[in-house]
Amino acid sequence: MNRLMKKNRLVKILISAAVVLTSLYLLQRLLMPKYVSDIVEGALIAEYYEEEKDHDVIFIGDCEVYENFSPAVLWEEYGINSYIRGSAQQLIWQSYYLLEDTLRYETPEVVIFNVLALQYNEPQREAYNRMTLEGMEWSMAKVHAIQASLTEKEHFLDYVFPILRYHSRWSELTGEDVEYMFQTKPVSHNGYYMRVDVKPAQNVPEGKILPDYRFGDTAWEYMERITKLCRDKGIRLILVKAPSLYPYWYEEWEEQIEAYAKKEDLLYLNFLELQEETGIDFRTDTYDGGLHLNLSGAEKITRWLGNVLVQEAGLLDRRGEEPLTTLWEEKLAAYEAEKQDQYKALEAEQAADP
Amino acid sequence: MKRLMMMLTITGLLFTAGCGNSEKTIQAASNPASGEEQEEAGDSDESGETPAAQTEKGYLFESEGVKISVDADVKPVIDRLGEADSYFEAASCAFEGLDKTYTYAGFRIETYPEKDKDLTACIILTDDSVSTPEGVCIGNSVEELKEAYGEASSEEPGMLVYEKEGMKLCFIVDGDEISSIEYRSSVLEAE
Repeated sequence: MNRLMKKNRLVKILISAAVVLTSLYLLQRLLMPKYVSDIVEGALIAEYYEEEKDHDVIFIGDCEVYENFSPAVLWEEYGINSYIRGSAQQLIWQSYYLLEDTLRYETPEVVIFNVLALQYNEPQREAYNRMTLEGMEWSMAKVHAIQASLTEKEHFLDYVFPILRYHSRWSELTGEDVEYMFQTKPVSHNGYYMRVDVKPAQNVPEGKILPDYRFGDTAWEYMERITKLCRDKGIRLILVKAPSLYPYWYEEWEEQIEAYAKKEDLLYLNFLELQEETGIDFRTDTYDGGLHLNLSGAEKITRWLGNVLVQEAGLLDRRGEEPLTTLWEEKLAAYEAEKQDQYKALEAEQAADP
Repeated sequence: MKRLMMMLTITGLLFTAGCGNSEKTIQAASNPASGEEQEEAGDSDESGETPAAQTEKGYLFESEGVKISVDADVKPVIDRLGEADSYFEAASCAFEGLDKTYTYAGFRIETYPEKDKDLTACIILTDDSVSTPEGVCIGNSVEELKEAYGEASSEEPGMLVYEKEGMKLCFIVDGDEISSIEYRSSVLEAE
């Protein structure tokens, strides 16, 4: 009798614990930002895990990769299967751990890293950290990425249990929080964030004078770790500086990157210096005055990059290979559909406000 | 059942313990400036204006009789200074609102969005045609700087920093000579 009572008590405790934990989990799912309509950049990192992981090229870096290169063009014109693991203000240690994370699933032929991130030597802002780190699946790479990224006011546990951070979002909940509680809709095309509108670059300010132009020790440490990791895995690392006119890219920074690329025997492409070759025209190829390229600009520089990947890295044309080709047919259809939707919306906007 | 209800209640209490207002959430921080640091500066008043947007703060720059403070609403300043020689705006990555740059002869003002206002992020002196109200300009020596301002609050490689009321006045030096002067908000520093 006594044993039966003990058993019943244990069952009750277990049921109670399960109810509490399930409630907390559901609350957490409800309260976490979904990044579907606003600030869609927050959804980019997580989207990768839904992919077939058989990429020839992986891009890592900040907005200068996910807004400036189009994997659809690499496939359509060169048969190169690529993915952008980019996120807003992705810091270089985050790029490193995202690369580690990616290598848990696949080993690409080429990794392309955008060097602007070297300007930061310390964690910057929680909001940007969250957009990169929360989307990562749990692994030691994520643990280390969080540890390296925490600002003074952040706590590791808040990333383990995001409900601790988002519990006060209850008053901001919308229908989308319920609709996308467990499954969100895609916001990118293999990590590329599409924009078709045009805002010409003008009056871009010169860079302000800096007290010290040297990249910091931490930034260099992770640059070296990215290089070593790629080398150890037999991956060709290519450094790029996207053609964004702002934030300002200093000559002193350029010299350091050129010297590093030479020392490590890495290919470095500074698209700021390749405007003639790529055909970029900042009167028509940017949607925000020179910070990021629009679709037209992204397709131009990607087309040029594709040729380099074939010539320099020897990447093969995989068009015709199944199931990849079928998969890309679907992807290109979605890409084309969004392109048309955006052009229509833009035309409607222009018609309403000529 | 009673025990389950009690556990749920306790969990709920723990869950809401220390609960701040909803503005602390990341989603609500729809621009990089709306973080806890701003909240620590004080709560919004009934008009919705932050104290930072209403008052002058720390060291001020002055041009043609117009006092310019970091973290203050830039609109009345621009209205009084007149149209800038050059204007540039840039959307912050992944955030709503625009960072704006107004360039005038000898200096430029950069802003950050805060609710429906643009607050001054920094004022950068760009040549020796203007000076600080304390009489220091680009090209002055470090000795002249210290005569005017005293010892710096802190020194970094290539820069002397004077902190006052939560803002920073930074003198960037090249050797013994001042090469740039910046009035900086601390709000935008690492959160």
